[in-house]
Amino acid sequence: MILNGVEIRDSFAEAFPMVGTRLIITADTPDWAMTAGRVTTGFATSVIGCGCEAGVERVIAPEDTPDGRPGVAILIFAMDFKSLKTVVPLRLGQCILTCPTTACYAGVEGGKRVPLAKTIRYFSDGYQISKKFGDERFWRLPVMDGEFVCDEDTGSVEGVGGGNILILARSRGQALHAAEQAVKAMSRVEGVILPFPGGVVRSGSKVGSKYKALFASTNDSYCPTLRGVAATSALPDEVGSVMEIVIDGVSFDAVAAATRVGIEAVCAVGSTGGVVAIDAGNYGGNLGPFHFKLRDIMGGVA
Amino acid sequence: MSVVLRLKAPLAARLDLEGVTPAALAGKALAEVEALALPHGGRSVPLGELFAVRAGGEGRLVIEGGDARLDGVGAGLSAGEIVVEGDVGAHAGRGLAGGLLRISGDAGDELAAGMTGGRIEVAGNAGARVGAAPSGARRGMAGGVVAIRGSAGIRAGERQRGGLIFVGGDVGDEAATDMIAGTLAVAGRFGAGTGRGMKRGTLLARTAPELPEGFADTGTHDLVALRLMARRVPDLAALIGAAVTARRLVGDRLQGGLGEVLVL
Repeated sequence: MILNGVEIRDSFAEAFPMVGTRLIITADTPDWAMTAGRVTTGFATSVIGCGCEAGVERVIAPEDTPDGRPGVAILIFAMDFKSLKTVVPLRLGQCILTCPTTACYAGVEGGKRVPLAKTIRYFSDGYQISKKFGDERFWRLPVMDGEFVCDEDTGSVEGVGGGNILILARSRGQALHAAEQAVKAMSRVEGVILPFPGGVVRSGSKVGSKYKALFASTNDSYCPTLRGVAATSALPDEVGSVMEIVIDGVSFDAVAAATRVGIEAVCAVGSTGGVVAIDAGNYGGNLGPFHFKLRDIMGGVA
Repeated sequence: MSVVLRLKAPLAARLDLEGVTPAALAGKALAEVEALALPHGGRSVPLGELFAVRAGGEGRLVIEGGDARLDGVGAGLSAGEIVVEGDVGAHAGRGLAGGLLRISGDAGDELAAGMTGGRIEVAGNAGARVGAAPSGARRGMAGGVVAIRGSAGIRAGERQRGGLIFVGGDVGDEAATDMIAGTLAVAGRFGAGTGRGMKRGTLLARTAPELPEGFADTGTHDLVALRLMARRVPDLAALIGAAVTARRLVGDRLQGGLGEVLVL
């Protein structure tokens, strides 16, 4: 399959189940809401080292937030529910509670409950105020800029982590440009985040290592400087650089939609923009239950 | 099955309707409903002697023609709907745990005492001790919503420990005495001696009530919670409106309490 001169390889992204949640963060200004969103989802590129994967999902207009102030939605994913219950209150306490003017609300209704103020209310040393209307409880924590308002807890979803595309291009500049276009387009898809820096990861990994202590190591088949050196190479001679975009989402469909939008954006850059091919990372199909077959996802376009 | 009860004549003595709920009437034939024994004055009388009974809409009990002596309406309701076209007496919605009780007239004393959930709407006025502790209990209303379009009597929200009471008119003296938690919102005025012994809980007021010595004035603050409540709690939307600041008075400090009065 070739789209605008870009080869869509007969490959698939292999993804895993993750549990995730959404938080709605509001603040007095859009900038402070985004600051809280960015900081809370910082150091959350990969569960391997960060314990979770997180990102800003979207900006929310004041009229659509629970308190009528500017907001952002963030998604946080972990490998299991126990880890999620650990990382969410930690990040809430260190990054949202501390951020000027913010409030934090549940962004998922159903599913198992992830504690928010239920845990961090004790910061208020007995001065915390609980308000419960219907089945919803929120807390008011006296802080130095006024009150931090925060929902008791939030729901959770069983999502999908590790969807991905690999962009193979002639040069590093061209690979990065195509990746940036893809990130821009994919960021508009609801229910997904791209957890890596700026949405892009340049150090894709394979499973295993020659060093016994390491689970993962550099994806040598896609390293341009190892062509002909590593055991296998997936890169034809004209490819000089590869960028990967990793996608976590609240559902298979959300990740599939983001994959498609990303591929379309890369193909719009096309061979004239230096893009050679689009590939995807997998482990042979036996590890992850979710397979995003690139050609199926793009079916009907070619 | 659901039932419509029409009061045949004004009551000559108090009548207790506690337990007469859509759930209790479900599956009963009209004749069985008519045979239900109700405490009336010093006697026990069959329901059919006082009410004309006919079938109605599903999950719903309608009482046509209220009476200030009709006590215990909706007491123990946990699901479904009771609609009263007229006044009710004391103890309406006592211990109500779910469902909807709608009263088109006035309610007597101890409306919603010990309520734990559900919703009560009163188009007229309510008597003393709305949402208070029922006889023999130490704590009042714990959950649910009571919306009174008119005014309420003395000691509204006494020992209230949860839920929301909204009063469109005024409340009498000594509202929120010994309040434990929950919210009492009043669009009109509070009476004298409001909030004595408050432990926790929130009073929402348009004008500052006359408060006992034990209240500390913390000043006027921009409270994000107001914006949240105005959007999330339909019953408070009109009262809070576009207000983003409130004067916050905290008490009753003489008893170590951390209740608050928010003056919008």
